Amino acid sequence: MERHHNSVTKTPLDRVQRRSKSKSYRQSLRSCLGATCLTPALTTRRLNISRRAPKSHNITEKVNPEQLALMVKTEWQLSYVTPLYQFRHTQLKSYSRQLSAFIAAEKQQGLAVEVEGSHGSFRVSFSVVQGMSEAADDAETVLIQIHLKRLFSRQDEPAKVVWSGLLTCINGSPDYLRSLPKDFTCLPLLCSSGAEGLTSAVKSWFQQTFDCYFGQLEISHTSLQWMIALWTNCQTESAIQFLKMIWTLPVVPPLKVTYTVNGQDAWELWSSVRKDPQKEGNGEDEDENSIDIEEVMRFMQGLKSHFYRHFRLDLSAGKLDQVSTALGSAKCSGMIKISNSKYMISTLTLLTECALLKMPI
Amino acid sequence: MGDSTKSLLQRIIRRIPSRAIESTLRKWGRLTAEQLQSIDFTQPKWTVTQELLDMCEEGNWTLKFITELEMSYIIDNPNQGMWYAYQLMNPEDDANSVELTQFKEQFKSHLKQLVRHISLKMKKHTDEAVWIRIAWGDRFFQPNHMKPTYAVHYLQTPYVFVTSLTSKHKPLFSQAMTLSTRYQAIKDANLSGRNLTAIRDLLMRQFQQAFPTKHPSPLAERNQTVSHPRIEKEQDGNAANRLELACEAFGGGTLPQLQSAVYKLETKFRDQTNKAMTEREESFKCIVKFASTNLLESLRHCASSGFASTPVTPLLSSISLKGKNYFVITDNSPGAASQPRRAQDK
Repeated sequence: MERHHNSVTKTPLDRVQRRSKSKSYRQSLRSCLGATCLTPALTTRRLNISRRAPKSHNITEKVNPEQLALMVKTEWQLSYVTPLYQFRHTQLKSYSRQLSAFIAAEKQQGLAVEVEGSHGSFRVSFSVVQGMSEAADDAETVLIQIHLKRLFSRQDEPAKVVWSGLLTCINGSPDYLRSLPKDFTCLPLLCSSGAEGLTSAVKSWFQQTFDCYFGQLEISHTSLQWMIALWTNCQTESAIQFLKMIWTLPVVPPLKVTYTVNGQDAWELWSSVRKDPQKEGNGEDEDENSIDIEEVMRFMQGLKSHFYRHFRLDLSAGKLDQVSTALGSAKCSGMIKISNSKYMISTLTLLTECALLKMPI
Repeated sequence: MGDSTKSLLQRIIRRIPSRAIESTLRKWGRLTAEQLQSIDFTQPKWTVTQELLDMCEEGNWTLKFITELEMSYIIDNPNQGMWYAYQLMNPEDDANSVELTQFKEQFKSHLKQLVRHISLKMKKHTDEAVWIRIAWGDRFFQPNHMKPTYAVHYLQTPYVFVTSLTSKHKPLFSQAMTLSTRYQAIKDANLSGRNLTAIRDLLMRQFQQAFPTKHPSPLAERNQTVSHPRIEKEQDGNAANRLELACEAFGGGTLPQLQSAVYKLETKFRDQTNKAMTEREESFKCIVKFASTNLLESLRHCASSGFASTPVTPLLSSISLKGKNYFVITDNSPGAASQPRRAQDK
């Protein structure tokens, strides 16, 4: 109830934000082409400026362990997907057949699908990942797997999984989800892993069937900084062990700087830049554990100033390419690996938000 | 024995790029002119390899022949794998008079006393460098020729460069080296890189260094007329000054090709805006690695273009000034202090 109330009061603000999104959409396409880099100031306006601290979820109890193991061990390539028209969670069996047939046809035409030793037939399976969705408006997560049955394999040999994809929406903005016309399902984030050819085959089948559009989802500078902060914040519950950041400085030849901080020291710096919860008088409807962008920026500033004090080299001049801790790693090119299932939900929440920012209005 | 000779030959040929096979074989000098002519080097590599293997069988080539081939290829193409620099310390009085034959004999006899099964090969290269190839065995096993250690020592200097030396063999190698060069100790020089010539030049200061001058060199006059001559002049002055300082720190001209530098920082976190961290007792532990295809040129560009403030911090300039690329920084020893590390244990 209270949540609903909140969203109503925030609506006007969201309108403004939404309008700016269509503009930023174009801008991010441009940044795809490498023409411009989003300035952090602009990005912070678009992204949530405050989010709840990741709570460790007992996801292991809710989600099928086999599916969970796949999600955790894989490094995913991220894409965004516009809302799917007339997608039905009840039709997954039929989708499996259709996509199998589609890939077979593509293969017959000699297009795209090239997997090493792909003499054999592909079989597609769609399944729902139960227990992933967080908010009431989130559509259930769908797992797509492509199995390769080799031509000359033995009868009892199990088909090998050659491609996996995860279509998901975790804690998607309720305002956006509710504003969608009937018959649209929003699963804005595609995590895929496997041969490039299969990825594009799956994408083109989705585009034809559900009238949607896919695009590469890069992880922005700000989102990477958010990940650093969210992960570091977990230190007391599960050790991050290290905090590693990789920057590239645009000199000739390019200079790569890898800055690895001891996990506990990173956490102590993080807690020193956190706001004092007692001083926050107006925190009644705010989650007690919320993290502000200012705290994230102060944390980054602290890390950079320690670096500058030694090397007199300003990391702000460079580009943050990659961040990682024992809990996971993320690259600006849109690769992500989540190593600890406990914090998967909070990472996917952030990524869902990034994907939703790409949605056209 | 025959099998190991052939597999070693196969392995070496695999490492040599097709276009270099002919020249390498010519240089090796173990093939007759007819044999060389009979091989068609335009064929695919595996056919050439097969022909060589047949010749090897017919000619009953010994392991010695094959190691010679490997050595002559490695001497010409040393940049394969990581080279680590070591420095000999505390010379005896006669250290400066050690000459090649004496060194060779001594090194061989010392090492053979330490290890029963060992295969050694030494060759003097044109530039005063002695190349050493060591295939290690132990009490029970014959020397393993598949993973030889290569070392390069410049006679009458305290420098030794080593590649593929395991921590197990390091003490043996160090002992033989110190005894045969008439030094008392050997230490890790905290310098490593893929390019042997570069780390040699860096350590032996064979690159173009720029020395600080008290008076900055006068700027060349410019004929161009600009809208704001004063601003332009000041900017030019700044840029020239930065470039000068950058060259002082890293050297001028083409710089030795170093791939990386690592700093282990164990210093206190100091920031006036962050009281809690500044008051903390413990140090803020982190590791910083700089990497580039040519690190020194990247850093020089950083300084000259203003990404790095000038004057360059001693931490960075120590790479070329001290010839090191691994540093441990603590608060007790400000600047570019460094402690030895166990280089090849990584």
